[in-house]
Amino acid sequence: MTPAGASRHEQLMEELAIHIATRILKRPGRIILPDEPLLSSGLIDSFSLVDLALFVEDQYGVRIADTELNAQTFDSLAQLVTLIADRQADA
Amino acid sequence: MSLAQIAILIGLAVLIGRLKRARQHALLAVSTAAIFWLQPAEPVATLGYWLPFGTMALAVVAWAFTAEPGARSWRKNWVSAALMIGIVAAIQVDGASSRLLSAAVISPPVSYVLLGSLAVVGLLALGVRVRAGRTVLSVGLAAVLVVAFIILKTPGLANVIVTGLRSHVAGGDPSPIQGAISWLGFSYVAFRLLHTIRDSQAGRLPELTLGEYVNYVIFFPSFTAGPIDRAERFVKELRQPLVLTNDDWLDAGTRLVFGLFKKFVLADLLAVISINDVVVPRIHGAGWMWLFLYAYAFRIYFDFSGYTDMAIGMGRLMGIRLPENFDSPYLKQNIALFWNAWHMSLTQWFRSYVFNPLTRSLRSSPRPLPTWTAILITQVVTMVLIGLWHGITTSFALWGLWHALGLFAHNRWSLWSRAALPDSWQTAGGTPLAGVLGTFLTFNYVAVGWLLFGLSSPALAWGALRVMVGAG
Repeated sequence: MTPAGASRHEQLMEELAIHIATRILKRPGRIILPDEPLLSSGLIDSFSLVDLALFVEDQYGVRIADTELNAQTFDSLAQLVTLIADRQADA
Repeated sequence: MSLAQIAILIGLAVLIGRLKRARQHALLAVSTAAIFWLQPAEPVATLGYWLPFGTMALAVVAWAFTAEPGARSWRKNWVSAALMIGIVAAIQVDGASSRLLSAAVISPPVSYVLLGSLAVVGLLALGVRVRAGRTVLSVGLAAVLVVAFIILKTPGLANVIVTGLRSHVAGGDPSPIQGAISWLGFSYVAFRLLHTIRDSQAGRLPELTLGEYVNYVIFFPSFTAGPIDRAERFVKELRQPLVLTNDDWLDAGTRLVFGLFKKFVLADLLAVISINDVVVPRIHGAGWMWLFLYAYAFRIYFDFSGYTDMAIGMGRLMGIRLPENFDSPYLKQNIALFWNAWHMSLTQWFRSYVFNPLTRSLRSSPRPLPTWTAILITQVVTMVLIGLWHGITTSFALWGLWHALGLFAHNRWSLWSRAALPDSWQTAGGTPLAGVLGTFLTFNYVAVGWLLFGLSSPALAWGALRVMVGAG
């Protein structure tokens, strides 16, 4: 990954971590670790997952299909960031 | 399925797993024959033939309506078509004379079968030829599936159909069977077909040949009791060259042994002390009622997860890794985690095609509902539909509602407790004591819900609950 790509990756990670902590968990101080399981642990429930997908689609212009909203597609912040970056690169 | 049937299917899975190039065709042949062989006797004798025939017809027609152009060529599909026609014809002959293949199959006259086959070929040709209008065709097919599902799952409607059919059989119907129609595997087949129809409309369905598609829909290990795999996953496995390692054999054997033990030892033993319509009115002690309810809770788990283990084991023998359906559901610390671990392939299906689109639509609306209202609506709609998938009765609807309310209450509690209480209070990820308490509450909530699932009427369930709390 190029330095610019790495920096973009980190920025995405930070933005999403803030969104999840403040808007979904309603705990602004909560630190979301990159590899922390979000879905399989129950931290993000199925309703909030759709909200997260809508946020990602609005904010980053990538589509996450309804059939992809599960822990097999992404379960952690790092996996979500990779998915967004891959789809942005494909677009 | 009986123990003997399962033993034969395991043997066939081992044989198919030894094949290299012919694996797909052998699998198709065995699955086609198996759905006729496993079909139980029906209250209208020839339905024992027509229902599996209908399964094949639906699968073939759905393929024609969803297949990508590259997959439709005759060259890619003629062997599969010939195999299916040959087996369906052979079973018609067998069911009209010796009935060697299946005692339950009493064949209709050959002229009727030819007419039925012509109708299927006509729809197949229509689906393959037509360019515009395929969406209309597939929406029509989805509607047929949903209507058939409603008729089969509604006891009153199914009885009307049976009575009507019996009265039209000249000279009286020879079937000694009473009761409703039992279309083996239809609940699972319908959901696989609906998934492929929907994904085809969204442009997400991979290119599938006729053989691959029908193999996916009627894959014999998961035909009667799931799991509901996804087509793209299944076909990826089917296309890979099969190399079974020692680990594969060990895993498959372990799953099969566990599955057989769960189903035929644990579940069948627990059935003796489980709640049912006959025994519940005779139980007057709260402790006994709880005991019978707990026994039912474990019986249904061992029964269902035992079948899943066997399906996964058989699939493994043929190089197909079916998805897991259970992940220690009774050890989960809250009801949301329980539903991530119970009948996982069905709940994932409902999330993909009901819950997520409905939530998305409510949340994207120009005038969105308050969050709590949207959550309540989506949970109730999804869980009641999951309940009705088991049968269109008040009890199953109430069972779904019970779980929807549990999920809603959990959602509200999580939101409040995350903001108001320290992490250690969370049932998932908190202290061990909070986890144990969460598991205890979740298991008992689920167990009480089984009253509605295991007894045929809400009145019986209510009576049992009253006894359990000492008010009966």
